[in-house]
Amino acid sequence: MTQASATAVHSIDFGIYRRRRLVNGAALTLALGAAGLGLFWLVAILWTLLWNGLGSLSFGLVTQMTPPPGAEGGLLNAIFGTVVMTSLATMLGTPIGILAGTWLAEFGKTNKLAEAIRFINDILLSAPSIIVGLFIYEVLVIRMGHFSAWAGAVALAVIVIPVVVRTTEDMLKLVPNSLREAAAALGAPQWKVVTMVAYRAARNGMITGVLLAIARISGETAPLLFTALNNQFWSTDMNAPMANLPVVIFQYAMSPYEEWQRLAWGGALMITLAILILNIGARTFAALSTKSK
Amino acid sequence: MTEIAVVSDRTSLATSHGQRQRLQDAAFRLSTLFFALVVLTLLGGVIIALVEGSIPALKAFGLGFVATEVWNPVTEKFGALAPIYGTLITSLIAMAVGVPVSFGIAIFLTEVCPVWLKRPLGVAIELLAGIPSIIYGIWGLFVFAPFMQSTVQPFLIGTLGQLPFLEDIFMGPPYGIGILTAGIILGIMVLPFITSITRDVFETVPPMLKESAYGLGATTWEVVWRVVLPYTRVGVVGGLMLGLGRALGETMAVTFVIGNSHRIASSILAPGTTISAAIANEFTEAVGDVYTSSLVALGLILFVITFIVLTLAKLMLLRLQRNAGT
Amino acid sequence: MADASRTMDIRTEVRRQPTGNGAVAGAGLAEKITIRDLNFYYDGFRALKNINLPLYDRRVTAFIGPSGCGKSTLLRILNRIYDLYPKQRAEGEVLLDGDNILSAKQDLNLLRARVGMVFQKPTPFPMSIYDNIAFGVKLYEKLSGDEMDERVEFSLRRAALWDEVKDKLRQSGLSLSGGQQQRLCIARAIAVKPSVLLLDEPTSALDPISTAKCEELVDELKSDYCIAIVTHNMQQAARVSDFTAFMYLGELVEYGETETIFTNPSNEKTAEYITGRFG
Repeated sequence: MTQASATAVHSIDFGIYRRRRLVNGAALTLALGAAGLGLFWLVAILWTLLWNGLGSLSFGLVTQMTPPPGAEGGLLNAIFGTVVMTSLATMLGTPIGILAGTWLAEFGKTNKLAEAIRFINDILLSAPSIIVGLFIYEVLVIRMGHFSAWAGAVALAVIVIPVVVRTTEDMLKLVPNSLREAAAALGAPQWKVVTMVAYRAARNGMITGVLLAIARISGETAPLLFTALNNQFWSTDMNAPMANLPVVIFQYAMSPYEEWQRLAWGGALMITLAILILNIGARTFAALSTKSK
Repeated sequence: MTEIAVVSDRTSLATSHGQRQRLQDAAFRLSTLFFALVVLTLLGGVIIALVEGSIPALKAFGLGFVATEVWNPVTEKFGALAPIYGTLITSLIAMAVGVPVSFGIAIFLTEVCPVWLKRPLGVAIELLAGIPSIIYGIWGLFVFAPFMQSTVQPFLIGTLGQLPFLEDIFMGPPYGIGILTAGIILGIMVLPFITSITRDVFETVPPMLKESAYGLGATTWEVVWRVVLPYTRVGVVGGLMLGLGRALGETMAVTFVIGNSHRIASSILAPGTTISAAIANEFTEAVGDVYTSSLVALGLILFVITFIVLTLAKLMLLRLQRNAGT
Repeated sequence: MADASRTMDIRTEVRRQPTGNGAVAGAGLAEKITIRDLNFYYDGFRALKNINLPLYDRRVTAFIGPSGCGKSTLLRILNRIYDLYPKQRAEGEVLLDGDNILSAKQDLNLLRARVGMVFQKPTPFPMSIYDNIAFGVKLYEKLSGDEMDERVEFSLRRAALWDEVKDKLRQSGLSLSGGQQQRLCIARAIAVKPSVLLLDEPTSALDPISTAKCEELVDELKSDYCIAIVTHNMQQAARVSDFTAFMYLGELVEYGETETIFTNPSNEKTAEYITGRFG
C-alpha cells in the first residue's frame, strides 16, 4: 500500500523520509525523557518534604515556642510572626497596589508615564527579593536603629505591591468598555463607574492577585533576614525583632542540632501546604471569574 | 407647579451636585495617580538606598572593588569578584540544566501530551513554580548534597576529572556542597518557571500555522523546530531571560549549598559563594561600616545585573506581544 | 471482502442516483478520491452523516452550504489534519487512488505530502519567501541548489506570484500583502507536487482583486490537480468549479455538475440556498 502511494507523488526520497522519522522519534523521545526527568526531581523534592515533614508534625509544633538548641519545642511564635507580618504586609500593599493598578488601567492607559510605571513595576515584580531586604534595611532599620517586625512587614509589602498592581491592571483591562459606558450613560461619575462597576466586574480576578501575592510573601525568606530578623521568644511587639517561619527554617536547617532540623522540616511542610492551598484558592477564583463572564 | 419644582430641582442638582462629583472625580484620579507614582519612587528609592549604602565601600576600594577577589573581614579588605563569578557561574549551570529540560517539558505539554494529562500536568507545573525557594534549599542541603557527595561527584572526578583540559574543572575532593550542586538546584528551581512561560509562549502559535506545516507532511518535531520555535523565538528568549533573572537573584536555594567561600576555584565542585548568598550569610554578622557597606555594594551590583537582564527580557516579551497583536 | 466492496459500489451509485446528475456527470472521468459512507464525530457529536461522493481528477469540486454544515470538516478529513486533535473521529472510507486513507496504517506525513491544503487565512511560516517554498520540498526530496531554485521559481510562477517577488526572495514571507501571502501558501502547497489540492475558503480574508487572482489561479491549476474548494461565496463556486456539492446539517443534500446545481437544482433546499433565501 505504501508502495502505491509512493509512486503517486513525484520523486519522494524515502531515505530522507526515514531519516526524518528517526529524527522526529528521537527528538520526541528526548522531550518525553526531559519531561520525565523534570517531573522526577520535582516529585522527589515534594516526597522528601512530605516524608520528613510528616515525621516531625506533632501537636507541640503549633503549641510550643521555638526551643533552645538540643531541646524539644514547637514553632508557635514563628507561625504567629509569619501570620502577623504577612497580614500586615497584605493590608499595606493591597490598597496601594489596587489604586496604582487602577490608575494604569483607567487613567494612564497608554501615556508615557503609564508605560514607564508599567515597566518599572515589572522590574520590581521580578527583582531579587534580597535587594528588597537591603532597601528596607537602609531606609527603616538603620533609621529606627533596630530590627523590627514593622520593617519585616514593610519589606514584604514592597513585594506585594507589584503583584497586585499587575493583576489589578490586567483584570480591569478585561472589563468590557461597554460596561463602563453603560454606567457613565446613567450619569455616574467616573470614580463611581470604576469603584462600583469596574471593580465589581473584576473582583474575582483582583482577589486572585491578592491571594497570589500572599502566597508569594508567605515563603519569602531573604527580605526578612535583616529586617524582622528572628526572635526565639514569644513577642507581639511590632517594634522588636519577630520570629517568622522562613527565617527559623533557614537557621534551624543550617544548624547541627537534630531537633532543630526536624522543626525546620515541619515548618517547611506547613509553609508549602499553606502556599499550595493559597495557589489553588487563587486558581479557583480565577476560574470563577472567567466562568461568570 | 410640581413640574416647575422638578425642573428647578434638576438644575440645582446639575450645579451643586455636579461640582461635588467633579471634585470627587479629581480626588479619586489624583489618589490613584499618587499611588502609581509610589511604585515609581519605590524603584528610585531602591537605587538611592543601595547607592548610598555602598558609598563607604566604594570610597575605600574604588572601582577595583569589582575586580578584587580578596574578602577579609579581619583586615577589612573586600572585593566582589568571587561572588560575581559565583553568581554568574551558578546561573549558567542552572540555565544549562533547566533550559533543555524545560523545553522538553513544554514541547511535550503542547505537542505530544494526551489531552487528559495536559491540564493536570500544566496545573502541577504552575503549582510547583509557586513553591518557595527555601524548600529547594533545604532539600538541596539534606538530600541532594549528600547524593552529590556520595555518587555524582566521585564519578565526575573519576571520569571527567581524569581528562586533560577538564581535570581543572572537575577536581576533587567531593564536598557535596559547592558551585555545581548550587547550580543544579537553581536549575531545578527555575524549571517550572521557565516551563510555564515557554508553554504559554508556544501556545501563542496560531493552530492554522501549525496545521499548514503538518499539511505539507512535516513531522511533529519539524513543526516544533522549524515553525513553532522561529515563530516564538523572541518570546522564548524573553522567557529564558526572566528565568535567568530569577536564577541570578535567587538567595535561599543557593545559600544552603554553596559553601560560602570567597574564593574563585577552577573546579566547579569546589565551594564558592554568590552575591545573594554572601549577603544572606554575612549581613547580620557584619561589623563595621566598610564590611556592611561592601555587602550593600554587592547588592547594588546584583541589582544592576538583574536590571539589565530583566529589561532585555521585558523588551523581548513586549515584541512578541506586538507581533501577536498584529 | 470483494463482495462487500461491490455492494458498496452499487449503494454509492444508488445514493447518487436521486440527484440525477452525479452518475452521468462523472462519466468518463477518473475518480481521484472516493468518499464512501463517511461519518465524522466531534467528541460524540455527529458532524457528518453518511457522505458518499467522488472527487474527479483535474476537476474542481466546490463545497457550499451554510456555516456549520460540515463542509470544512469534510475537507479536513481528506488530509486527515483532524488527526491533530483528540476526540475527533472519522468512520467509513476515503479512497485516494484506491487506498483507504482512513486506515490506521496510513502514514499521515506521506498522505499530507500528496494532499496539499490552503487555509482560510494566509499562513506564511516565519522565514523567507524562498524558504517558505523550500520547506516542504526539502522534507521529501534531495535537490541541488539549482534544482531547488528551479522548483521555487516553478511554484511561484504557477501561483502567479513570481513577478511580484522575484527580487525579494530572501525577505520574510510576512512582509507580503495578504493576497500575496495567500498565493505564497498556494505556491508552497504545489511545490511539493501533490496530486490533490484542498482549499478551505482560501479567499475569505482577501480583497476582491486578490480574490479574482486566486480564482484565476484555481482555474489554471485544475489542469494538473484534483481540487476541492470550500467556499461561502456562491458566485465563487459557480465561477471556479466543475462540480458542486451542497451540504446542510452534516448531510450531502445534492451533488452534481455545477451548471446543473445552479440552474436546475433538484432539491428544494439547494434551490433555497443558492437563491439566497437562507443561510
